[in-house]
Amino acid sequence: MRVAAALLLLGLCACAPVAPYQRGYLARPDMGFEESPGMAKTQEKVFVAKEAASGSGNVGGSGCGCN
Amino acid sequence: MAALLKAALALPVLALPARAGAIESGEVGLNILGYKERGLMRVTEPVAWGRVELADGWEVKGSAAVDIVTGASPELVTNVSGKPVQVITGASVDDRRTIWDLKVSKRLGEWTLGVSGARSSEEDYLSRAYGLEVKRDLNDRNTTLTAGFGRAADRVRSHDDPTLDEPRDTREYLVGLTQVISPVTVVQTSLQWGRGEGYYNDPYRHTLTFYPEPSVPAFAVDTRPDHRNTFAWITRYRHHVASHNGTFQAEYRFYRDDWGIHAHTAEIAWSQGVGGVWTLRPALRYYTQSQADFYTPLIPQPQPAILSSDQRLAAFGGLSPSLRAQYQHPGGWRFEGTIGYIENASRFHAGGGGSEFFETLRAYYAIVGVSRTF
Repeated sequence: MRVAAALLLLGLCACAPVAPYQRGYLARPDMGFEESPGMAKTQEKVFVAKEAASGSGNVGGSGCGCN
Repeated sequence: MAALLKAALALPVLALPARAGAIESGEVGLNILGYKERGLMRVTEPVAWGRVELADGWEVKGSAAVDIVTGASPELVTNVSGKPVQVITGASVDDRRTIWDLKVSKRLGEWTLGVSGARSSEEDYLSRAYGLEVKRDLNDRNTTLTAGFGRAADRVRSHDDPTLDEPRDTREYLVGLTQVISPVTVVQTSLQWGRGEGYYNDPYRHTLTFYPEPSVPAFAVDTRPDHRNTFAWITRYRHHVASHNGTFQAEYRFYRDDWGIHAHTAEIAWSQGVGGVWTLRPALRYYTQSQADFYTPLIPQPQPAILSSDQRLAAFGGLSPSLRAQYQHPGGWRFEGTIGYIENASRFHAGGGGSEFFETLRAYYAIVGVSRTF
């Protein structure tokens, strides 16, 4: 519940809107959450089979016999 | 490799847009992962992936991969030598897993709708999954809300028992928020729930325990609950420092499930641009988890109905440094490589108190990749 409240507060934060012409840095690959998609996804698999936790912020992925 | 490339080229992500003749931009790539555990298994995985943006707000992306697993996998935990240790009892592992996934999304004004499908196939495990996703941009696209639903229908089988063919079904729910904080800062946070039921036992894993007093030793097959409900909270942060041509990246995930496991994952990285075409990204990842309620490397007396000696359910922590280098050729080609080391150990468990008999895991991995934008 506290987590949900924090999420809501974050969404309602008084951030000043950033205009399109100010978004040059935000468009950099290293500012994205899917930077180098093939690389990040491959690297994530290294950990999935050795840990109990899961959840990458995506849904609809297939399961694996490794865990 | 030829089969993999053939499969990749057959993917609609590459073939359909070409027929349509409406590609606006895209990227295709090939990565190869090499992973080696000290004294245990080795994994090689070639991955072909692609992404295209089409006219009218369509986007298609997908990947195809083959996991080639060789080496040894511990299947028995026994204290025959005094303390409980993992023992390799079976023949060496030689397994292949083929995986593909595909996602199609369409932008409609401030809305984006996505549909995805995925399939993973091994000799002893089959998984078919799909996902639905809705995104809504708000606040002049400074805020994005995301909601998603996913379902996986799996079948668990065994090399050792041809009669085993049990279902495992999982439903996942996701809500997320991406917020632009400033021209150089953006944050994303997501809540993810999983509701799973079915067969969770590891059909290869057993526990054999000898007791101090003269008695018959106890033997147990891996037996876990028939459901698993999970919750994860994932937050990602990006902050660009223009004066240093670098970006600070941080991620944190809290996880808990109804097996009694609580876990924290944190990663920090610095992505440094060098000379306009090179990027170096050193990163450090830390992971810690509590043990499952039914984890035990020794069979208690009386023997409980549910128990597992799988040390991935133990209390431990892990440290993993990595380094990624990327070269962006002005012609659209990108070459990149990542090397990393993983050490999972009882002593890395947050606050101490890691499982006493956890056997330290040391592993190395390397990923090389080439991709091209068009």
